[in-house]
Amino acid sequence: MPGKVMTMKEAVSQNVKSGNLLFIGGAQHGSPNAAVYEILRQRIDHLTVVALLATFSTLVGEGLVDMLLTGYFQLDEKRSFALQRARAKGKFPIVKEYSHFGIAQALYAGYMGVPFMPTRSQIGSDMPVYNENIKSITDPFGGGHVGAVKAIVPDVGILHVQRCDADGNAQRWGTLGVDHEGINASKRIIITTEKIVDGDVIRRDPNRTIIPGFRVNAVVEQPFGAYPVHLAGCYNDGPGGFGGAQDEATWEKNLQDTVYGVKDWNEYLENLKKVNGADFLEKIRIKNPAFSEPVITGI
Amino acid sequence: MTQGKYATEYTAADQMVISAARQIKNTDTVYVGVGLPMQAGVLAKNYHAPNCTIIIENGIVRASLFPLPRATDTLGSQSFAEQLSGLFYVNCLAQAGYITTGFMGGGQIDRWGNVNDTAVGDYRNPIHRWPGSGGGNDVMSFCGRTVVILEQTKRRFLEKVDFNTCPGYFDGKPGQREEIGLRPNTGPVAVITDLATYTFENREMTLKTVHTGCGVTLDQVKAELSWDVRVAQDLKDTEPPTVDEMRVYKEKIVGARAVPPGARPPGAPSQGAPPR
Repeated sequence: MPGKVMTMKEAVSQNVKSGNLLFIGGAQHGSPNAAVYEILRQRIDHLTVVALLATFSTLVGEGLVDMLLTGYFQLDEKRSFALQRARAKGKFPIVKEYSHFGIAQALYAGYMGVPFMPTRSQIGSDMPVYNENIKSITDPFGGGHVGAVKAIVPDVGILHVQRCDADGNAQRWGTLGVDHEGINASKRIIITTEKIVDGDVIRRDPNRTIIPGFRVNAVVEQPFGAYPVHLAGCYNDGPGGFGGAQDEATWEKNLQDTVYGVKDWNEYLENLKKVNGADFLEKIRIKNPAFSEPVITGI
Repeated sequence: MTQGKYATEYTAADQMVISAARQIKNTDTVYVGVGLPMQAGVLAKNYHAPNCTIIIENGIVRASLFPLPRATDTLGSQSFAEQLSGLFYVNCLAQAGYITTGFMGGGQIDRWGNVNDTAVGDYRNPIHRWPGSGGGNDVMSFCGRTVVILEQTKRRFLEKVDFNTCPGYFDGKPGQREEIGLRPNTGPVAVITDLATYTFENREMTLKTVHTGCGVTLDQVKAELSWDVRVAQDLKDTEPPTVDEMRVYKEKIVGARAVPPGARPPGAPSQGAPPR
């Protein structure tokens, strides 16, 4: 069995292809930012991105995204330098708008392997007028009208987790956004993890496994892989963030710092420490860890 | 020193959060969005509705007291929750009818309680864009009673919204929510603004109280609406914040705010400012 543990560069180049439908996990929590920035570094383009409240505006601003499937995104061009930049490059993405539950259900249908999911969300709104992936149908069991949202099956999904073993059995906790639905709907899967742990750690708490190893294509150990977004049990939000650039000079500097001027995320983290002090990352680690009662398994 | 039941010094913004909080009953399960809805939920939990359960979209279920988080998902909003799941799970609770009360903001609202979080003007060539539904459509579609909290201006309060992101009662004819497939006994029940509060009578937004205690007049309220609003027969003054409410509000909400209301912390979702 070929090993799944690899570098971020390998994981992304082997699994994310131009033209792919890409799921990015981590809705406001533990987003796989190191992996997203490797996609930028490799300039993988013509992507369709499905994500909720995750980091993808930089992909848009760099002109790598043809289509967005989402529920909430800064679409005011006057306020979004990423959109202004995409427009200037002739790469303004098509945006298919759903409600948040609409995206969750579309991914859930993909996860279940069914073509659509009935729903009471979005029906009657004006969203289906402009998004052909949401329809109104007749309940075949006589219940009148019901909505239907078409399945989304990502070519590749990326999720950042707290721990994962070398075989890809991945465990994530804290809020899960659409992580469970999105990663299980994805055909190829990259897991980035704060730490690669022994399989025994996974097997002592198997209910926490969000995706089993046989479904996973690549495992990348990447401490602070969600920075500057918080990750339960690990660290708080870092200062700043990447989304703030409102002019070309700041945009270019941010990308130079995070992507093009460094060989990988670890070099970026090292540079953060050089600029902000050696204890910069330690300072955002959680200060008061709370331990649960052990979950007892065994025979 | 205030000797009476009611506070004497408060702003319209304070009244808005406090009036919204009063919509929450002790037995409610409340779905709250970021910003004013979250503030109203946390205030109610700290004051008159300690047993209410607060549900946050990302999968957080909180039955015990918790401090006001500075965004919907922070380590603070997650820590020591009764349940952490995902967005799919909490919306299943809502869709199946287990969330009694929804709290949401909005970009525009109309006479029949429809909310626009999407576009001003034509969708394909908008004058202004908001970030979109987020969970707004889900809250309005599913919850038993939905309360909308937003600042009142003539450009936000319209006879008919430009884009219907979160259907209220459509054009007001009875039975339309059920006809398109929404559960019965759902929909908007109140609108709370910085000028007034509204209920819905026969599905029509109806002026119920005016924030006269902070100097607002009926004429001012009407000037910030784009249609000749229906006025309740028993139109009243909004009950001002009580001294006790104000004390808890200052301690638990104002004191815990990372940013002033209306400002947007980096990365935190917001409905955005209306076009001016």
